[in-house]
Amino acid sequence: MQEQDKIYSSRFQRTGKFIQTGAKVGRNYLKHFSKKLVTGEDDQNSLNESNASDIYDALSNLKGSALKVAQMMSMDQGLLPEAFSSKFAQAQYSAPPLSYPLVIKTFRQYFEEGPGALFDEFSKKSVAAASIGQVHQASKDGKKLAVKIQYPGVANSIESDLRIVRPIVGAMFNVSQSELSHYLSEVKDRLIEETDYQLELERSQEISAACADIKGLVFPKYYPEFSAERILTMDWLEGQHLNEFLATNPSQEVRNKIGQIIWDFYDHQIHTLKQVHADPHPGNFLFREDGTVGVIDFGCVKVFPQAFYERYFHLMKPAISDDDAEFTALLNELSFLLKSDKTHEVEHFKAVYKDVLELLGRPFFSPEFDFADKAYFDEIYSLSDVYQNDKLLRNAKAARGPKDAIYLNRTYFGLYSILHLLKAKVTTHSKVNGLFKKAS
Amino acid sequence: MATKTSSKTTRTKKKVDLRQKIMEQYQEYRLLNGHDPASVFAFCKQLEITEAEFYKHFNNFSQVSTAFWTDLFQNNIQRLESTAEYEEFSVREKLLSFYYSFFENLKNHRSYAMLTLKSQGFSLKREGNDLGLLKKHYKQWAKQLITEGKMKEEIAGRSKLSDNYDSLFWYQFMFLLDFWRKDGSTDFERTDEAIEKVVNLSFDLIEKNALDSAFDFGKFIFQNVRV
Repeated sequence: MQEQDKIYSSRFQRTGKFIQTGAKVGRNYLKHFSKKLVTGEDDQNSLNESNASDIYDALSNLKGSALKVAQMMSMDQGLLPEAFSSKFAQAQYSAPPLSYPLVIKTFRQYFEEGPGALFDEFSKKSVAAASIGQVHQASKDGKKLAVKIQYPGVANSIESDLRIVRPIVGAMFNVSQSELSHYLSEVKDRLIEETDYQLELERSQEISAACADIKGLVFPKYYPEFSAERILTMDWLEGQHLNEFLATNPSQEVRNKIGQIIWDFYDHQIHTLKQVHADPHPGNFLFREDGTVGVIDFGCVKVFPQAFYERYFHLMKPAISDDDAEFTALLNELSFLLKSDKTHEVEHFKAVYKDVLELLGRPFFSPEFDFADKAYFDEIYSLSDVYQNDKLLRNAKAARGPKDAIYLNRTYFGLYSILHLLKAKVTTHSKVNGLFKKAS
Repeated sequence: MATKTSSKTTRTKKKVDLRQKIMEQYQEYRLLNGHDPASVFAFCKQLEITEAEFYKHFNNFSQVSTAFWTDLFQNNIQRLESTAEYEEFSVREKLLSFYYSFFENLKNHRSYAMLTLKSQGFSLKREGNDLGLLKKHYKQWAKQLITEGKMKEEIAGRSKLSDNYDSLFWYQFMFLLDFWRKDGSTDFERTDEAIEKVVNLSFDLIEKNALDSAFDFGKFIFQNVRV
C-alpha cells in the first residue's frame, strides 16, 4: 500500500492551494490521484509523508463536523487512499485544548465538585484529543481512568458546520445536491448522537456486554457515577495504536489472529445485534501485548432497522443477479432503482450494481479471505472512477440507495481498510452465509 | 465570655441577613414592577422593617443595585481563594476561573441582571452607574493579578502600556458581559467558548512575544540612526 502514496509535489502543492481557495479543482485532483493509484505503479517505495500532509492540512482547514463529513464522504466514495484515510482518521477538532479552569467548570456543572475532589489524581493537561473533546488521565482507588470531556458548544455548531461543508463537499466529490441532502441528514443525526455522552455510555455498556463472549476483545469498564452529558469516564486501557503495533513487525500468525478478532466483532454486531460501532478507524482500537484488542469510543453507533437489514444482505447472496426478477425487486425496494427510471437506465444501473456487489461482497463469498490482497483494494479504489464517470448515475436528480446503508458502507469500508493494513487472512464464516443457506 | 462572643456572632449574622433580605426584596420588586419602589418608606413597610434599619445598610436604592454587582464579585473572589488549587494556578488560569465562576453565578440572577443592564443602557462604551463600584473593585483585583503575572513572567513589562492593562482587562470583562447578555445558546456554552478564546488571546498578546522583540529592535535602530 505504501508505495502507492508517492505523488508529485508540484502537482500536489498546486492542488493543495486550489482546495484551500475553493475546492473545485480538488475534486479533479483527487480523481486524478485515485486514478493514478489504480493504473500507475509507482516504483518509489518511500511514502512521501510531507506531500500527504499537505493535502491533509488543506482539507483539515475544515473544522469540526465539516471535517467529519469530508472524511466520511471520501471513505464512502472510496476516494481516499490509505495514507489519507488514516491521517483523516486521526483528524480531530482542531480546537485548542480546553483550559483547566474550563474543565473544572464543566465538572462543577454536573457534579458540583471539581475533578480534584472527585478523583485521587487528575491530569491538569489533556493527554489525547478525542473526536469532539479531550481525554484526561485520572485515578481513583488505585484504578487508572480515562476521562473524556467534550468541548462546549459542539452540539450547537453541527448545523452551521454542515451548512459550511455543503458547497465544498458537493464540488469536491461531484455529488448532486439532492444526494448530498440525503447523505447529510443521516450524518447529522449521527453527529448529534455523538455529542450525547450519556447515550454513548449506555451503548458502550450494552455492546460490550453483548460482545463479552468474543474471545480476545477487551472493553473498558464505564463509570456512570463519573459521567454526564459532556463527561465520560472509563478504565484506562493500555495498548498500542495500529501503526505502533505494525512497527513491531508482528508475525503473520498474530496478524491473522487479531484480524479474526476484529472481523468476528463486526460480524456479531451487524448480524446478531443489528447495531454497530460505526466508526472503525484505527484510532478506536488498541493492540495489546497479550494479543487481545481493546475497543474504545462508542460515540457513533448505527442501529439497523430489520426490514433494511434483510433486504440489504439479501443482495449479498452469491449470484443474486442471476435471478433477474428477484434482483430487480430488491433494488427497487431499497430505492437503488427508482420508479421514474427509464428502461435503458434500469438496465444500466443493474449492471453497475451487479459489479459493485460482486466486488464489495467478495470477502463473503469464500470461506477465507486474504485482506493483504492489493489487487482487490485497487479494484475498490477504482470504484470511485466508476461512480464519478458514470453520467447516468451522476445526472440522476434523486438520491439513490437507502439512508441506512451510508453507515453500513462506512463500517465495512473501515473494517476492510484495517484488515488490509494488518494484512490479515480471515475466516469469513459470516452469519450472513447462514442466512443464504436458510433462504435457498 | 463565651456567651458574649456567641451573641455577637448572632447579631452580625442577623445584620448580614437583613442586608441580604433588603437586596433580595429590592430585586424582586424591580423584576415584578420594572422600576424602583416609590420610596424607602414604602419599601420598608412592605418588608416590615424600620427605615433606620434600611439606612444602616444603604443610603438609597441606587446603592442596593450597585451592591448586586459588588457582592457577586466579592463572593466570587472569596470562593475562588478558598479552593485549594487556586493558589497554584497561573495568572491566566486564575482569570479564566474567575470568569467561569462569575458567569456561572450570574446565571442564577439572569433576569435581574438583564433588567438592570437594560435600564442602565449598558453598552460596551458605557457600562452605567450600577457597575461603577464593580469597576473599581475589579481593577484593583486585576492590578494584583498583573503584578503577580509580571513576577511569574507571564506578562511582559512594557512600561506605560502595561500600566494600563487593568483597563484592558476591564474592557475584556465588559465584552464578556455583553456577550453573555446576548448569548442564546444552551447553558450559555457560547460564553464559555468566548471566555476561553478572549483570555487566551489577551494573554498571548501581553506575554513576552514578537511585539517585544520588534519594539526592542525598533528602539535599537532609532538610537543608532540618531547617533
